[in-house]
Amino acid sequence: MNIINPRRRINAVFLFFFIFLLFCIARLLFIQFFRLKYFSEIARRQHNLFVELEPRRGTIYDSNLRPQAVNISADSLYASPKDIADKDKEGIIEKLKPILGLDEAYLKDRLYRKKSFIWIARKIEPWQKKAIEGLNIGGLGFLKESKRCYPNAYLASHIIGFAGLDNVGLEGIELEYDSYLKGESGWAVLLRDARQKKLNLWEKMLLPRDGYDLVLTIDEVIQFIAERELEKVFKKYRAKAASIVVLNPHTGEILALANQPNYDLNKYREAPLDSRRNRAICDLFEPGSVFKIVTASAALEEGKINEKKKIFCENGSYKYATHVLHDHRPHGWLTFREIIELSSNIGISKVAQILGEDLLYEYIKRFGFGWKLGIDLPGEISGMIREPRHWSKISITAIPMGQEVGVTVLQLASAISVIANGGQLMEPYLVKKIIDRYGETIKEFSPVMVNKVISTETASRIKDILRGVVDSGTGQLAKIKGVSLAGKTGTAQKLEANGAYSHDKFMASFIGFAPLEDPVIAVAVVVDEPRPYYFGGVVAAPVFKNVVRDVLKYLKTSKPAEEILALK
Amino acid sequence: MKASKFLLAILIITFFSLLYVHQQTEIFKLAYQGQKQLVRLQDLLDENAILRYNIEKGSSLAFIGNKAYEDEDFEIPHSYRLVRLNPQEELEVSTAPGPEKNIFVRILGIKRQAEAQTLNP
Repeated sequence: MNIINPRRRINAVFLFFFIFLLFCIARLLFIQFFRLKYFSEIARRQHNLFVELEPRRGTIYDSNLRPQAVNISADSLYASPKDIADKDKEGIIEKLKPILGLDEAYLKDRLYRKKSFIWIARKIEPWQKKAIEGLNIGGLGFLKESKRCYPNAYLASHIIGFAGLDNVGLEGIELEYDSYLKGESGWAVLLRDARQKKLNLWEKMLLPRDGYDLVLTIDEVIQFIAERELEKVFKKYRAKAASIVVLNPHTGEILALANQPNYDLNKYREAPLDSRRNRAICDLFEPGSVFKIVTASAALEEGKINEKKKIFCENGSYKYATHVLHDHRPHGWLTFREIIELSSNIGISKVAQILGEDLLYEYIKRFGFGWKLGIDLPGEISGMIREPRHWSKISITAIPMGQEVGVTVLQLASAISVIANGGQLMEPYLVKKIIDRYGETIKEFSPVMVNKVISTETASRIKDILRGVVDSGTGQLAKIKGVSLAGKTGTAQKLEANGAYSHDKFMASFIGFAPLEDPVIAVAVVVDEPRPYYFGGVVAAPVFKNVVRDVLKYLKTSKPAEEILALK
Repeated sequence: MKASKFLLAILIITFFSLLYVHQQTEIFKLAYQGQKQLVRLQDLLDENAILRYNIEKGSSLAFIGNKAYEDEDFEIPHSYRLVRLNPQEELEVSTAPGPEKNIFVRILGIKRQAEAQTLNP
């Protein structure tokens, strides 16, 4: 007979749970001691998130601390194609197309990829974000990114340049000083919850170093005046292109630099490449009569000639070697002063012959032609001047009048500055200083004299002659009532494809400075293929006049930047 | 006796454990709130930057200048005079001014008068 022993059953259950407890403890000990690293790593990856902290790209200011390039927050649209049903994708494409203005093929390609994250459109406008949010489409999301914006649109476009989608400088100052502007990224290890939401708790963090700000030498008002006048002449004479450079002749600071055609920096991708060329520093051209200042200065400096010396100008037609030189108007005997004032090609070629090839070449180089001046912008070219041993028999007559030599607008502006400031070639520059976001100066740039070209006395004599160009010579349309100024006109034939000089394509130019007694600005204006008029004295001289007149008025009323910084 | 001591120990341990858990949950709650505030702050800063940018854009010479020249045929004047404004010492208001003057001064709080001094251009 079996007697049911309740105590044995209780003991059996107890034993079962005891063994189970031992098993749990053993499992716990195993996890805690032998699998500690493995599970800690999984937990760390789930709970922690490594994020890169984007630094703020530096702001670019003009000389009066007015912002020219800033950063604002913009939303970028992304999609999770894996989370979107295929049947819904066509409908989404149809809804997004009109808002984003994107190709259907592009959107299809993006949405049908087997990815969990893909960009649809980067840095979209606020109204686009609002419109897409209103559609309430699942599988789409927004991430904030920093967007580079230019409040002045096209102003100083060739100076400032632009930064690309990832805030990397691609042109102009943005490219040249990218290492200062971009800053350094930081990072943080943030905690996140079970739903992968970031929490405002971090284990470790390295703060980003924001980019430095740049203070340029350009003045927004002077830049505007220069661009306004340039655009007027570009449209009026239906020119192919135009450029202007405004310099402080004593320091080499560039107050304005502009080209036509130009482009809106906020829409750089839509701008044709031709508009983005910084012609003032990277286009080469034969300067024509403005180049006569080199021969004239050299001849005076070397004592080969004086203002009253008379030279016979062959009544407008002069045969030299195999070439016949012409003046635009026949002249007989002219003084050296008159040769410059009336821009006689024959006269200047005879002066050059007195000077000699080697001396002429030396002064051409001294004036900054044929080599890079060192402006802090990418793309500067050196121009072109051959050594005398490569000159032809007629080069001594061609080069003094600005043929057989290639120059840039910047070089012309620097050359006329030499005369304006008493004989020194100054290195042109665009950045005055680099500051941090609190206004502390990190680096400051000072004027650099490249070389002494001519003596102060020679510069003064040339100034006087160039005043005559405006008072009674070819540059009378540059006259400003109440302001004494000096300048030189130029009308250069362009070369055709077959190597012959064109009879209907010209470069019209004017270089000068004001006021005569103590110049504050030097200006070089060049207009490419103006029509129907093409003389420098008719096309370019009025641009010089309007720019100088308004800039001088403005300079009388402008505040120095130090005052503005103290108020900030 | 032993059981009561054991229970007491369990109670104390449980109390401190719960306190610890409560502390941790509070930290996370604050973290959530902090994150919310941070997002809100960031949104406000972004809005501020966008507004500042729009002001800069609207007041830029490229915008205003072109409008003035195109729409109004604006020109910088040919002749001009520079005038410097000097604030003077506070003027004493008469004890018996006309009633209108009193109200005018009181309402608008005008107590200074600027003197214009013409400079040679």
